[in-house]
Amino acid sequence: MEILIYGITNSVTLALMAIGFSLTFGISGVANFAHGAFYLLGGILTWIFINHLGIPYFLSALLSILLVGLLGFLLYWGLMLRLRGLAINEVIATLAAAIVIIEVLRWLGFSGFTYVLPEFIKGSVNIGRVWLDYQRIFLVAIGVALILLFYLFTHHTKTGLSFRAIAQNERTAISLGIDSDWTAALSLAFGSALAVIAGLAILPLGSIDTELGYDILIYALAVGIVGGLESIPGIVVASFILGFSQIAVATFFKAQWQTVVTLGAIVVILAVKPSGLFGKYKELEERV
Amino acid sequence: MSSTICRRQGVRRNEFEWGDTDHSHGHNPGKVRLDRMLEIKNLMVFFENALALNDLNIEVHRGEIVSALGSNSAGKTTLMNTISGLIIDMKVKEDRRGGERITLMGEVRFEGEDILLTKPSLRIRKGIALSRERHPIFPESDIEENLRISTYLRRDPGIHKTFDFVYSIFPPLIKLKKRKAGFCSGGEQQMLSIGMALMTKPKLLLLDEPLLGLSPAMQNSLIQAVKQIRQEGITVLVAEQFARPLLPIVDRGYVIENGMLTLEGSGQELRENPEIRSTFMGV
Repeated sequence: MEILIYGITNSVTLALMAIGFSLTFGISGVANFAHGAFYLLGGILTWIFINHLGIPYFLSALLSILLVGLLGFLLYWGLMLRLRGLAINEVIATLAAAIVIIEVLRWLGFSGFTYVLPEFIKGSVNIGRVWLDYQRIFLVAIGVALILLFYLFTHHTKTGLSFRAIAQNERTAISLGIDSDWTAALSLAFGSALAVIAGLAILPLGSIDTELGYDILIYALAVGIVGGLESIPGIVVASFILGFSQIAVATFFKAQWQTVVTLGAIVVILAVKPSGLFGKYKELEERV
Repeated sequence: MSSTICRRQGVRRNEFEWGDTDHSHGHNPGKVRLDRMLEIKNLMVFFENALALNDLNIEVHRGEIVSALGSNSAGKTTLMNTISGLIIDMKVKEDRRGGERITLMGEVRFEGEDILLTKPSLRIRKGIALSRERHPIFPESDIEENLRISTYLRRDPGIHKTFDFVYSIFPPLIKLKKRKAGFCSGGEQQMLSIGMALMTKPKLLLLDEPLLGLSPAMQNSLIQAVKQIRQEGITVLVAEQFARPLLPIVDRGYVIENGMLTLEGSGQELRENPEIRSTFMGV
C-alpha cells in the first residue's frame, strides 16, 4: 500500500519534472539543459516575491511562471537562434546558461531551511494506514491536469497545432507559413514555464537547495530517455516505471540506491533501445 | 510566324527579347492584355560555387497552367523553393550560422512586386502556395488535422468552404479524414499535399513533381484535379519530368536543363517538339 501510494506520487512528480523538457525537445529539437535551473529559479523567485516583496502567493506564482517563461524565450532568441541544428553547441550553450543561473543562486546563498515554499493546503489524510499530505494529492491532480491540458493544447489550438507541425516536418510547416523561429522560441518559453509549475507543485515538500537545479535535469533526462523524448505516452509510462522502481528500491534496500536506479535505467535503455520506449528515430537533417 | 519555340543557347539572353513584350504564343487569341502574375527575370541561384539556376526567365499569367519540365537535378525544385521562399528561409538560417552558402540574384515578381527576399509566410499571405516534392505531409496527424494545420495563417471565416472545396477536388480524402496521414498511400499523400497547399487559399499554386512515383491511373486523376483547380481561378505552375500526362492540359511550358532554359512554347508546341518527345516521352 505504501509502495502504491508513494509510487504514484513519485511517478507524477517525475512526469511533472520531465514534461517541460520533453515539450521543448520534441518541438524545437533543443535539449534544454537549463531546465533544472529554470525549475530552481522559479521556486526562488516565488519565495522572494512572497517573503521580500509581500506579494500574495498566487500572484507571485503567476509572476515567476511568466518571468521564467520570458527568460526561456529570450534564451532562445538571444543565444539558441544562431546555434540551431548544431546539437552539441545547443547542449553546451544551455548547460552554460544552467551553470550560470545555478551558481549565481548558490553564491547569493539561496539554499537551506529558510527557503521553503508554502503548501497549497496544509495537513494530511490517512489512506489505508498510510499518511499522505494534501500537497502530494494536489501534485498528482496538477500532474494529471497538466497532461490533459497539454493534450488539448497541442490538438485543438492553432499554436499547439503549429508546435506539432514543426515537430513532424519543419520544412513543410515553413512552406505553410509557420515561422519556425517563433515556434521554437515559444516552445522553450512554454517548457520553462512548465518547469516552474512543476517546481511550485513539488518544492513545498522540502526546502529549496541549489543542487536541485542539477538533480531535476538528471531526472528529466532519465524520463525523457527511457520514454523516448517528445512522446507524451512515453513520459507517462517512463515516469511510472522509474517512479515505482525508485520507491521499491528505497523501501526494500536503501534510499541512496534511488539515483542508481535512475542512472542505470538510462544506461540500459541506451544500450537496448536508444530512441526510448516510445520514441522514434529522427534524423538530424530533418531539422532546419 | 514560323516557330514560336525559341532555342536558347549560352548564358546571356538578348536584352531585346525581353523588350518585346508581345510574346504571342498562339493560345488565348481573344485575350488582349496578358496579366503577368509571376515574372522571373535573370534569376541566378548559387549553392556555394555550384550554379543551380542560370539566368532563368519565366512568366506565368493569371489563369494559366504552366509547366517547368526537366530531368533530375535540372533545378526544378530550386526554382519552386525560390518562388515559394523556402530557399530564403534556408539562406537566412545558413547565414546566421556563418555559412553563407546560398546566393540569389535577379528578380522574382509576384503581381508586380519583387519578392526575391520575402520570407515564406509573407508570400503565403500574398497568395503563393507550394506542394513540396515527394509529398512530405505530417505523418502523425490525421488527414483532417493536416488540412487544419495548413490554415495556420488564415483568420477569415471561409475556412470550412475551403475544406469543402478540397474534399470536392479530392473525394478519396473524405473517407480518410480520420486516418493518420503516414498510413495513407503515396497517391493519397500527394492529394493531401496539394490539398494542404489549397487550404492556404492561394492565387498561385506551385506543384513540385506531383506525379512522381504514382501509378498511371493516379497520375490521370491528379491531372484532372489540376484542371479543376484551374477552373476555380487558381493559377498553376507545375515542375515535372513526366511530360506525357501533363502536357495535354498545359497552356505553356518551359524546359530546364542544368539550370538553364532550353525551350519554351505552348503546350501544343511542346507536345509536337521532337526533342521533348524523345527526352520526356520516350518516343
